[in-house]
Amino acid sequence: MSDKSVESRRVRVWDAPTRLAHWAIASLFGFCWWSAKSDHMQWHRIAGYGLLGVVLFRLCWGFLGGSTARFANFVRSPIATWRYASKLFARDRDRSSKPIGHNPLGGWSILAMLGLLLAQTVFGLFSVDVDGVVSGPWAKWVRFETGRRFAHLHDANFHLLLILIGLHLSAITFYRLARKESLVPAMIHGYKTDVSTEAPPSFVPWWRAALLAAAVCLVVVYITQAKL
Amino acid sequence: MPYRTRAQSKSSLFSVFSKAGMGRRVVLLTAALLIGAGAHAGTSNVLQVVHARREHFKRLGRTAKSLRDQIGRSRPNWNLVVSDTNEIERLAQDLPNWFPAGSGQARGIKTKARAIIWSKPQEFARAAHRLSNSAAILAQAASRHDLAGVRLRARAVGQACGSCHHRFRSHSNWW
Repeated sequence: MSDKSVESRRVRVWDAPTRLAHWAIASLFGFCWWSAKSDHMQWHRIAGYGLLGVVLFRLCWGFLGGSTARFANFVRSPIATWRYASKLFARDRDRSSKPIGHNPLGGWSILAMLGLLLAQTVFGLFSVDVDGVVSGPWAKWVRFETGRRFAHLHDANFHLLLILIGLHLSAITFYRLARKESLVPAMIHGYKTDVSTEAPPSFVPWWRAALLAAAVCLVVVYITQAKL
Repeated sequence: MPYRTRAQSKSSLFSVFSKAGMGRRVVLLTAALLIGAGAHAGTSNVLQVVHARREHFKRLGRTAKSLRDQIGRSRPNWNLVVSDTNEIERLAQDLPNWFPAGSGQARGIKTKARAIIWSKPQEFARAAHRLSNSAAILAQAASRHDLAGVRLRARAVGQACGSCHHRFRSHSNWW
């Protein structure tokens, strides 16, 4: 690794769709939580549709987006992940080994997070409340008891998501305190400093994200308006 | 009534033991056991009432969902709509009987029914009457096969349910 490749300079790491999807997921999840707790179920449903759309977008963006957003570039083998994890607490860290995008542990965490969020929204689509009055748009395809089971799965999965979010926040704090790396600003403005620039990330044109967003909107509208 | 039985058993046993000249400790121990058993019987009766009430509400929820599924269609199955609305009307009329005095929250009893049901019985009766009234109008609309009317009246029944739950039921309507 040459000195030039690890020189301290600002490198664009995250594209706008990835950042927008991240913050949209964070805010919609918070809003869904509040609306469920305060029994604003109409708002909860709308925010849930939004969350489903953003999760679908992010999943597709993992195949169509920029290099740091693609699953192929950040989901590593279990052996590579273990190798990375075993050096997590090492004092003599090599700057050049710092990943530009998601690190291997973060990659698996993203897969888990997106998987649980997708499951959460699908459970919500089938959920029925205890009175049979409020339900998701696909609840009409299941019996009352099945809809109630989905509601309980929705609740259990929510707690799993809380645990995962707790781990995510703990990891951010750990990187800030133990490794002196601020991950949050990069997710806001998209740039990182002090990273290896040997293979700078590549990005895709904005219209690809716009087309994908439009397609996802159509899918979500179709899902929510599904007729028997 | 279990309470009367318990009291009668207690007094008769005390007299029997004193006549027989048994030790005071034995008498007290026996009485305590009987009181405990009586209390357990009382709790189990309340548990049965709470369980039955929960089953009634499940039935109401199941029927409400079935009705909503039908009236969401452009061409509902009217046989189902009529039977569901009749069932809702029957359950709504019966609902005040599901809340006998003493079936609220207590030690060992988990229920979402709030104490205000029994502390303000007239208010609860008014809310229950509002439900049975709107359920009766819903059933009438269903008997005329008036889809717009059923949708409108079903919303009124939902509002009656919601306002009552807001006031008289603790916890969310999801868990």
